[in-house]
Amino acid sequence: RSRMEASCLELALEGERLCKAGDCRAGVSFFEAAVQVGTEDLRTLSAIYSQLGNAYFYLHEYAKALEYHHHDLTLARTIGDLLGEAKASGNLGNTLKVLGNFEEAIVCCQRHLDISRELNDKVGEARALYNLGNVYHSKGKNVANAGTHDPGELPDDVKNALQKAAKYYEENLSIVTELGDRAAQGRAFGNLGNTHYLLGNFRSAVLAHEQRLLIAKEFGDRSAERRAYSNLGNAYIFLGEFETAAEYYRRTLQLARQLKDRAVEAQACYSLGNTYTLLQDYEKAIDYHLKHLVIAQELHDKIGEGRACWSLGNAYTALGNHDQAIHFAGRHLEISREVGDRSGELTARLNLSDLQMVLGLSYSTNNSMMAESHAVENSLNGGRPRGRRYSMENMELMKLTPEKVPNWN
Amino acid sequence: SQPLAGGQAAELQSKVVPSKQIIHSNNMEMEPETMETKSVTDYFSKLHMGSLVYSCTSKRKNK
Repeated sequence: RSRMEASCLELALEGERLCKAGDCRAGVSFFEAAVQVGTEDLRTLSAIYSQLGNAYFYLHEYAKALEYHHHDLTLARTIGDLLGEAKASGNLGNTLKVLGNFEEAIVCCQRHLDISRELNDKVGEARALYNLGNVYHSKGKNVANAGTHDPGELPDDVKNALQKAAKYYEENLSIVTELGDRAAQGRAFGNLGNTHYLLGNFRSAVLAHEQRLLIAKEFGDRSAERRAYSNLGNAYIFLGEFETAAEYYRRTLQLARQLKDRAVEAQACYSLGNTYTLLQDYEKAIDYHLKHLVIAQELHDKIGEGRACWSLGNAYTALGNHDQAIHFAGRHLEISREVGDRSGELTARLNLSDLQMVLGLSYSTNNSMMAESHAVENSLNGGRPRGRRYSMENMELMKLTPEKVPNWN
Repeated sequence: SQPLAGGQAAELQSKVVPSKQIIHSNNMEMEPETMETKSVTDYFSKLHMGSLVYSCTSKRKNK
């Protein structure tokens, strides 16, 4: 019996060592071997289940993570280990959140919070508040994504969830500030900023992300720094301050290149392309959209490629380069069909027929006539362009109501 | 901006394809999750430290 216990413990220790070294896959094999050997020490078994759950979580195998965190919770309750139960509940809550089961996630995270308060465990309480904020944020974002709402026009359930998220992040912030935990403050500021962004409170979002940036620099955490730049760029777009947004996106791009993260680099190029479109600098917009296109192709990201073609089609149209515009509108159509994007397909078709019409007209009609008809159209629509050029439409909206524009980020 | 599309066609499309659906790309950057951690050594050290310390000191005494 004691020989078996030793072997279970040794295997688990090796699993711990491997996970700490960043090799979760190998760690999992050792933990599973430890479970196979078995132990009569239920606290040791609880620790193994918990670490298996976390390892699977980091490996994005959430069904497995759920299974092991659930085993851990049952075990902790059986042996009456209250702190262990709180931890298992928190981990289960995080896993349920990722799986989109928000209601059960809330119950679990609330249990983590209640026990932490009962035990007067301030660190645990703060962590539970952060997790609860994350669940409500995800819940709000999930419901918002299902519809087609612009910031500031959120349905009540989305707004309620996001306001709860903000409340939990703020409660977390007051505790971690008291505890002097700067890393935790950084995380809370980042997610609080994103919650304000979704709620349409862009000034508050900027304030929170500036704090996040400050803490990231304190720690020399370049990934967090890059995240803050990107989020600041997004908020400044919605404040209508495009030059400032472009500056933050350029810093994002610079760091993405330093960190050698191609997906993030592509995203930064896309954001810069859109920003220069808003600034009506179409040459620069095309430059960045082409950079985005190249990386999207390299990463076999068909959706990104389609998006790049759509953007390029628009930018070339704005420059009057109809041949290139038709080329990219055609590519957009092909890709939309390939990925089964019905909306994209319809848009591409309409863009193509518009462009073919413009090309056809340019041979038979002179430009002044077209300008005249456009002026009439504009005056009929109260001076606001109502054409199919959505990026242009967004830009006009942004000038008129900088805090209420479609969310293209 | 470029003169394109009549008002009627644009009306039709704006109902079918909301603009933000096309250009939407959710790149909001979230902070990482924090998971609670347990360790077999935490428990091991608490439970066995007494006997371990005892066995070590007794070994030393024996020497």
